[in-house]
Amino acid sequence: MSNTLRLYLACIRNTLDAALCLQNFPCQEVERHNKPEVELKTSPELLLNPILICRNEAEKCLIETSINSLRISLKVKQADELENILTKKFLRFLSMRAEAFQVLRRKPVQGYDISFLITNYHCEEMQKHKLIDFIVQFMEDIDKEISELKMSVNTRGRLVATEFLKQFV
Amino acid sequence: MACFERASPSLKKILLQLYRADKPIEIDHHLHEFGSVEYHVQSSLSDPQHAYLSISTPLLSQGDLLSYGLSHYSMEMVKAISLDVVEIVQPAKEGYQLTLRLNLSKIPRGKDSMKVISEISTVQATILSSQLKEMLWTVNSEDTFQGMCKPIKLVYHPRETFYVIKQPLKIAAVFPMRFKEHSDVIIATAFLQELTDVGSSKKWAKVPPCCWAPIPPPELRGEPFEDLSTNGGFVTFDIYPRHIEGKRLDKTVWSLLNFYAYVKYHVKCTKGFIQRRMRKRLESLVETLQGPNLGEDEQTEKVQGNARCSCVGKSVRLPKFKMLKRKYGDFTRKIKKLRFRIKIHGFRRFRQRWLTIPKFSSSMGYTKLD
Repeated sequence: MSNTLRLYLACIRNTLDAALCLQNFPCQEVERHNKPEVELKTSPELLLNPILICRNEAEKCLIETSINSLRISLKVKQADELENILTKKFLRFLSMRAEAFQVLRRKPVQGYDISFLITNYHCEEMQKHKLIDFIVQFMEDIDKEISELKMSVNTRGRLVATEFLKQFV
Repeated sequence: MACFERASPSLKKILLQLYRADKPIEIDHHLHEFGSVEYHVQSSLSDPQHAYLSISTPLLSQGDLLSYGLSHYSMEMVKAISLDVVEIVQPAKEGYQLTLRLNLSKIPRGKDSMKVISEISTVQATILSSQLKEMLWTVNSEDTFQGMCKPIKLVYHPRETFYVIKQPLKIAAVFPMRFKEHSDVIIATAFLQELTDVGSSKKWAKVPPCCWAPIPPPELRGEPFEDLSTNGGFVTFDIYPRHIEGKRLDKTVWSLLNFYAYVKYHVKCTKGFIQRRMRKRLESLVETLQGPNLGEDEQTEKVQGNARCSCVGKSVRLPKFKMLKRKYGDFTRKIKKLRFRIKIHGFRRFRQRWLTIPKFSSSMGYTKLD
């Protein structure tokens, strides 16, 4: 892992560790409703300052916290057109199956590639430090997967090109 | 439209069925392939030895000059498929370019029959290849443009045109690439760049050099704008005389005719590969999430999990009373979870201390005070 990536992930981990202090808080606007305040943003007193962590211009992480929920939005690096379409396809594929991940948001926040929504209920069901480990590991895995996909596509293209040219021989 | 296999599988199947039939059968089949190729196979009870095969295929047209009917060279190539079995019927059936009479009795017995029927099924590929071969050989010398021959536009599918430009030392085949989706363009461009890269290596010096460019080559200047507007760039193959000598001519021509289909098939397969890979990765990512999904009852669940997951024999060996007690424990814990969904830290102790129902001592334990 490169030094900048390590620092970037460490910063995100520490921020999440501090931000993931959620508690149950019923909705102040509607009786008997319990909504993630970070999504509604109707009561400013329940929201904390959002934190933007940037590794570089292309990669960044936005952490928005509220009293009962936390939203993490990630922008993944895309070096060229091929990585761009692979990232879009892969993250859209995961987002469409968000129910399998529980903490994944179906639609990413505008300007980002993927978003997570963690509520106090998730914190009750799951261990906090393991949840943070999952988010950080997810970020590493996505980068790795996109790189591997790109390499596989190029390798396949090379093999197919070789097979095509063999017909002329 | 050309495809990788020269023989049409459906036509081959029908001809085999006709050939292998014990009794004479009546057949009147219309087959459509690739949206533009049509076959009509007929066989009657009155003439069981012969079958009629009519073909309608889009011909390689030279721009606006549509070639009506087949050239003499194409007819000769079709006859050469199988001289004994195939006979061209003149004139062809209405709506078709070519009608063949197949003499089924002349088809050799045994393994050779399969070979002959396969060759007859390649009639459409033969027609297409022969037309391109003829064009590569015979170019009107009066059609010159700035010292080079004018580009010949070949259209065998409305959206898939390519150009053949005869130059003094070589023939250039230029393919304008068009795709419907943006992702197809990116995948195809990556492939075409790899093709150029592989083709320019020393190992592949014998193959026709190819190059990819996002803009049309200078040889195509003067062609209509709508023919040159693409989203996938232009691929150019330089065909030298050594590539069209002897048996290589057939291979070269077939590869050029199949180029579009090859690229599109590769794009389709790559998208399928990406989808499979993503699905596999999803499974592994979800498994990772199952790990942190352990609540407060981690220890008890682990123990139970271990008891359950370990070999079935262990649970069988446990006495029934203990199993029931364990199940009761799980059940009460679930009820408690449902009842006490909202967890407040410290409330448990408070409940235990102040909210428990006092136990009254039994009469057996009562101590009478004197």
